[in-house]
Amino acid sequence: MSAASRMRSAAEGEGRGTRHSPGAERSEGEPKAQPLLEVTDLVVEFRTSDGVVRAVDGLSYRVEAGRTLAIVGESGSGKSVSSLAVMGLLPPTARVTRGSAQLAGTDLLALRPRQHRAYRGERVAMVFQDALAALNPVHTVGYQLTEALRARRGLSRADARTRAIELLDLVKVPNAKARVKEYPHQFSGGMRQRVMIASALAMDPEVLIADEPTTALDVTVQAQVLHLLAEIQAERRMGLVLITHDLGVVAGVADDVTVMYAGSAVEQAPVGPIYAAPAHPYTRALLRSIPSTAGADRGTRRRLPVIPGRPPSPAARPSGCPFHPRCDVAQDLCRTAVPPLTSPAPARLSACHFAADVLANRPPRAAERRDDRPQAAETPTTPPFDEQVPGGDHE
Amino acid sequence: MGRYILRRAVQAVGTLLLVMLLLHLLTTVAIQLNGNPAQAFFGDKVATAAQIAAVEERFGLDDPCYDQVGNPCLGPFVERLGQYAQGDFGTNLRGREVSDIVATAAPNTLRLFCVVLVTWLALGMLLGSLAARRRGSAGDHGIRLTSVLIDAFPVFVLLIVYRYVVAVPLHGWAERTFGEDSWPPYWFKPSFDADHPWATVLVPGILLGLAGSAAFIRLVRASQLESYQGDHVRTARSKGLGERHVVVHHVVRNSSVPVVTAVGLTFAEALGGAVITEGLMNIYGMGGVLWEAVRNDDVGLVLGVVTLLAAVTVVVMILVDIAYALLDPRIRYE
Repeated sequence: MSAASRMRSAAEGEGRGTRHSPGAERSEGEPKAQPLLEVTDLVVEFRTSDGVVRAVDGLSYRVEAGRTLAIVGESGSGKSVSSLAVMGLLPPTARVTRGSAQLAGTDLLALRPRQHRAYRGERVAMVFQDALAALNPVHTVGYQLTEALRARRGLSRADARTRAIELLDLVKVPNAKARVKEYPHQFSGGMRQRVMIASALAMDPEVLIADEPTTALDVTVQAQVLHLLAEIQAERRMGLVLITHDLGVVAGVADDVTVMYAGSAVEQAPVGPIYAAPAHPYTRALLRSIPSTAGADRGTRRRLPVIPGRPPSPAARPSGCPFHPRCDVAQDLCRTAVPPLTSPAPARLSACHFAADVLANRPPRAAERRDDRPQAAETPTTPPFDEQVPGGDHE
Repeated sequence: MGRYILRRAVQAVGTLLLVMLLLHLLTTVAIQLNGNPAQAFFGDKVATAAQIAAVEERFGLDDPCYDQVGNPCLGPFVERLGQYAQGDFGTNLRGREVSDIVATAAPNTLRLFCVVLVTWLALGMLLGSLAARRRGSAGDHGIRLTSVLIDAFPVFVLLIVYRYVVAVPLHGWAERTFGEDSWPPYWFKPSFDADHPWATVLVPGILLGLAGSAAFIRLVRASQLESYQGDHVRTARSKGLGERHVVVHHVVRNSSVPVVTAVGLTFAEALGGAVITEGLMNIYGMGGVLWEAVRNDDVGLVLGVVTLLAAVTVVVMILVDIAYALLDPRIRYE
């Protein structure tokens, strides 16, 4: 690690304290880091009985060392499929038809399966959602933690055992020495997820993709597991991709957020600004649907807003903007033209025709005025919907 | 683990006693309704009362309860259990010890079973794994089609065709080519030879195993397919493990429980169920003995043989249960 990167990590430490305060533009002053993993224009298609279906449609994102990118979206938005594509673990019916995934200069998607396998676990590892199903019930935890080390690096049985205990200690599983001999079903849900994380860390990967690592857990355990992930990530300066459907989870640990809808990114931004002022109606609707105690405190209990309708099936995607049937500010233009990812403000990307208006929290202007390029200075200094900024209430 | 085995063993003894009681009640009712089996001893001859009484005494049929329909005859049952405990399984109508008959017949059945099992496991595991590995491919469809074809082709047809169409010319050819005293002629001998039990049981066993493997192929394929789709297999792949390692340690290993179940069931079935094969190929085995015993109303022999078969089955089931526990820790720590 160079001095520069150490400095950056110090800067980040400061950032961590302030990141939830609305409008904190911490990303602006930072040096542009070389991305560890850069996914560009990824397209994944499934062969189904109804023909070819696009599950991921032109997704791009980048993860830098020591930073956490949260990919947020409803189920079916393509967030898991995109990470399986990066891992080379797509089911046989799926195919990457376009795009690249650069990991330190190598395009993973262009590799042959055998070469791609060499990167799996070693350079980029994955933590899966349901640890009970994702761990093998018939092998001991110790075996599963180190089977790759033994098979690929030829570790001896004794060394593997030592390493397995180390790994369990790392993820703070108590009494690691005895527990390596146990089986996954003898662990509690949270401990099992820790084992899952430990097994992904076994070979010191540079990038860790965690696919809904806390979905199957109790809320209190969720927080513990997330903090553990954040801690390990910071300690090892890994790039962490955190896939989740829960924006509440993101607030605590992520540095950057990519919001996915119907297979592509609709908004990409650092975490603070996105909570303060979302630049896409979908993100805004997601944030509004997080329960908040703010209203209850003041005796003005309100119905929790929900997003009407359901996410579109990849087989029957709406014309124009895929979100327009559910959008509360949709205009005629949205029904016909697919909005490109534009930048309504520095470090912000939004796939909305009216991104600048949404960002400023004002009704969209008529379509003909859309050509006005949004001003860089438009970033609001006050949160537009004060009572429902979740970051302020949660911590 | 120890407690688990103990519990299974106690259950097994209970099962065995229940089977014997059931068997006893059934034969008792049969005797009570059908009349005195001692008559069968004399065939067409008319026996005097004294002769019948002598036979009844010899075969333990002299208890008056056998004349009272509905009487469970528990007295003779307990008496017989006592004899079993001393290793006395009674005699057949001709006075030959049941244990002696079984000692001659069972090894042949076991030999047949060994050949069947090896064929069956080899074919089933190989083709089933292959089909699961390449699901949806031409090979998978081919293997499934073959398994259905085998199923649709009854084993006795297979054996008759083999015995009368294939075996005789092959036997002749082998004798001419390798000489009469070499192994190959015995392999293709169309009937069993007690002096060369292994050689003459080989081909019938392979054919029977082939017939049985059809369902087994589909079972192996289905259970491995389930494993392939399991999340833990994806996890194993995400660690960058090689395909061979993943298949052996995460697919085959995890789908071994249903396979062991099938092996246990087949064993129990094969012990008494190879009647057709044994009959057609003149193999002196348990199936044939039981078949003859039932045909001749040989109550003593039926009781003895079925009891022994039940005991063996129960032991196999315990072994299967132990194998489960070894293969699946979730069972071991239940």
